[in-house]
Amino acid sequence: MEEKEVLDELKTILVARLKFDPRRAAETTESTPLPKGVAGSIGLDSLDFIELSIAIEERFGIAMDENQDLTEHFASFDSLSRFIAGKLRSA
Amino acid sequence: MRARVVITGVGVVSAAVTGDSAALGAFLVAPFAPTARALGAGAVAALIDPGESRRLSRVCQFTIAAARLALRESGLDPAAGLGLVVGTEFGDLASTHAFADGFLARGHGGLSALLFPNTVMNTMVATTAIAVGARELALTLNAPTVAGELAVARATAAVASGRVPAVLAGGVDELDPVVERELERFGFDAERRSEGAAFLVLEPRVAAEARGAPVLGEISAAAWRALPARPWGVGRTCRSPAIEAVLEAAGARAADLGWVYASGSCDDARDRWEEQVLGAALGSVAPVSTLGRLLGRHAGLGVLRVAAGAWTARSGLLPATDGATRVERVRPGRGLVHGLARGGTHVALVVDAA
Amino acid sequence: MTQVVVTGLGAVSPYGVGVAEYWKGLAGGACAIRDLTLIETDGFRCRLAAEVPQPLAGSTRRTRADRLAIAAAGEALADAGLGTRDCAAAALVVGAVGGGMLEAEAWYWRTARAGVRPASLAALRAVLPSAHAETLGSRFRLGGPRHTVVTACSSGAVALAEASELIAAGVVDVALAGGVDAITRICFMGFNALKLLDTAPCRPFDRERRGMSIGEGAGFMVLEAEARARARGARVYATLAGHGMTTDAFHVTAPEPEGDGMMRAMRAALAGGGITPAEVQYANAHGTGTPQNDRIEARALARVFGEGGLLVSSSKSMIGHTMAAAGSLEAIATVLALGHDLVPPTANLATPDPDVPFDCVPRAARAARLGCAISNSFGFGGQNVTLLFRRGVA
Repeated sequence: MEEKEVLDELKTILVARLKFDPRRAAETTESTPLPKGVAGSIGLDSLDFIELSIAIEERFGIAMDENQDLTEHFASFDSLSRFIAGKLRSA
Repeated sequence: MRARVVITGVGVVSAAVTGDSAALGAFLVAPFAPTARALGAGAVAALIDPGESRRLSRVCQFTIAAARLALRESGLDPAAGLGLVVGTEFGDLASTHAFADGFLARGHGGLSALLFPNTVMNTMVATTAIAVGARELALTLNAPTVAGELAVARATAAVASGRVPAVLAGGVDELDPVVERELERFGFDAERRSEGAAFLVLEPRVAAEARGAPVLGEISAAAWRALPARPWGVGRTCRSPAIEAVLEAAGARAADLGWVYASGSCDDARDRWEEQVLGAALGSVAPVSTLGRLLGRHAGLGVLRVAAGAWTARSGLLPATDGATRVERVRPGRGLVHGLARGGTHVALVVDAA
Repeated sequence: MTQVVVTGLGAVSPYGVGVAEYWKGLAGGACAIRDLTLIETDGFRCRLAAEVPQPLAGSTRRTRADRLAIAAAGEALADAGLGTRDCAAAALVVGAVGGGMLEAEAWYWRTARAGVRPASLAALRAVLPSAHAETLGSRFRLGGPRHTVVTACSSGAVALAEASELIAAGVVDVALAGGVDAITRICFMGFNALKLLDTAPCRPFDRERRGMSIGEGAGFMVLEAEARARARGARVYATLAGHGMTTDAFHVTAPEPEGDGMMRAMRAALAGGGITPAEVQYANAHGTGTPQNDRIEARALARVFGEGGLLVSSSKSMIGHTMAAAGSLEAIATVLALGHDLVPPTANLATPDPDVPFDCVPRAARAARLGCAISNSFGFGGQNVTLLFRRGVA
């Protein structure tokens, strides 16, 4: 799966799992930051990130290693898409 | 030394009326049963930010909306110290089903971290405390039928004792399809039920007057007790320790009460029991209004009835509840707000004009 | 101001039925966290819990949680020597979260999987947290004020605080109060999904701690006005000298990082009892074993009592997190510690976290002269409660 497709799937997750308004989700781009407190971010907090991890595991069939610090991968849609695409390639 | 407790703000969210004490008063002058029991989709949109609403379940949104309306009317600054007491009968059962459904439909991948906190009944308090900045004691009281009245009684005690400088006291319930379906299946659907939230801001009289807050009424006494009855059963005892306790605490006799708001809601056996209890305590002199028959019962209505009591104490008007759009004239001044649940929990409050 | 004293104790714990079994387990440092048997656990990361041993006493027509509550409440009332007339005027305050959800889940699961719709309205009504108060109130003919508090993990402690308020205000002079929770699928699945559970038995205050363990049980106390207890020659375990309740108003699950609300709750409890931090020798911590709670709680304890200012231990290391029962079961542990001058240990504590500046009584109970002790309970949604107990009577 290419990063562009991964990004589209993530936008679906934003609406279905994280309850974002569909228009807000459609407005996001690769460079949109994810975590709360960062300028221009969609404002995800710790609970959102857990929900997002569960949704990613379900949708993409990959396992998120809880012992690894995944913070950098969750910084933006771009970094997250690359992370997921990379895991899919090596699966 | 117990403080005198006054109401300085009212907030109501329901199909029949949404707004503060003025909106409630306008409704009570010409009361009617709304065609829909449920709140519409956009009912609280103006009171909840889109960014907030994403993370708030429907019942939490009702709660925050009503709390904000009450706080706005009172002008109280939560930073000075604010407690929160919320009564509910069913809590956030909608989120509880949804959480279970996610797992049953999709297994582990269907578990929702966002829904899980809502499966604990304190979720309305937790989210409202964050939304309004309430950092003193925060309680969720769960009771059949009288959870709203109970929350007001408990909050009154907290303010009277000086334990908290001010309290947001509220009730909320949401109509839940699983509950409705099961009540109907077992033939318990005679009782009128609906949904909504209502809040009062309660403060010591001295503090409210010092800051120039609107004083909408006074809760002169509040008490709750339990009459003997099997769980969810209707009892036979008619002597009410709660009514006795509030009359004594308020220095009142039955004849001093100009009006009564009772908790009847077309659960005939329970309504009859309450009539007998009120009759035994007060005789049949004071006119009685049972808003539950008109509007459908939910924990928010229990709180709304206390606000209505304050309005009646001021205005000398009591809404009819037999479906007709009218009010009766009653003696203004003090009266009684009462609630009695199957199983025997009952609450009494003496409410006075400001 | 009316002094509130403890005159009866009742417990059903993961060690078994009764206060004696409970204290024996705690004093021995026995860890009751084992493989879960009550519900399906396939595919879940953590499959452990501290369950109450089967079989339970009481009718199988009742919910598991109701049966736990009846056993513990009955023991407390008998222990206090309360008769019918005492009960008729007694208040009842119950802390609950899950209610009869275990049985409702079983029905819901069957309905979803097989389309069967058994169950009765009575069974469904027993779901709600308020059901325990209805059951206990009716069973033991308790005619005073009755209410149920739901404050997540601090519910059991709030129930005790609420009862003491009623007595201190002179509304009643005797009360039965406590908390109860049975294992539920929702609780188990939810904490697993949030990755808050350790895959091994929890290790509070350990440097390698990885999360909580869930548990179940019921703990009830009889609280009484001191004058009334003295007049009838009741045995007094301890005085409930003060309590504090605050709200973080920060996040629905995460504790506020500075522990400000925790600290305010502890300070309010001390102030209520007229006790200085130096007069407290032991804190029974909330101590869930999550990296966050234990770090923040330790910081709050240090700010109130000074680093190393008292002994700290977590009963959750042995009985798991018993949810709505935790606050009251752990209050009972605190009262028993005072009575025996013995601090129950923190089990599974192999490598104390260097950032926790307290002696957390690793693995073996510690004899100590105890005058005052606190019990902390910090619930989801930042619902913080501290209870302060003093040995004997003022």
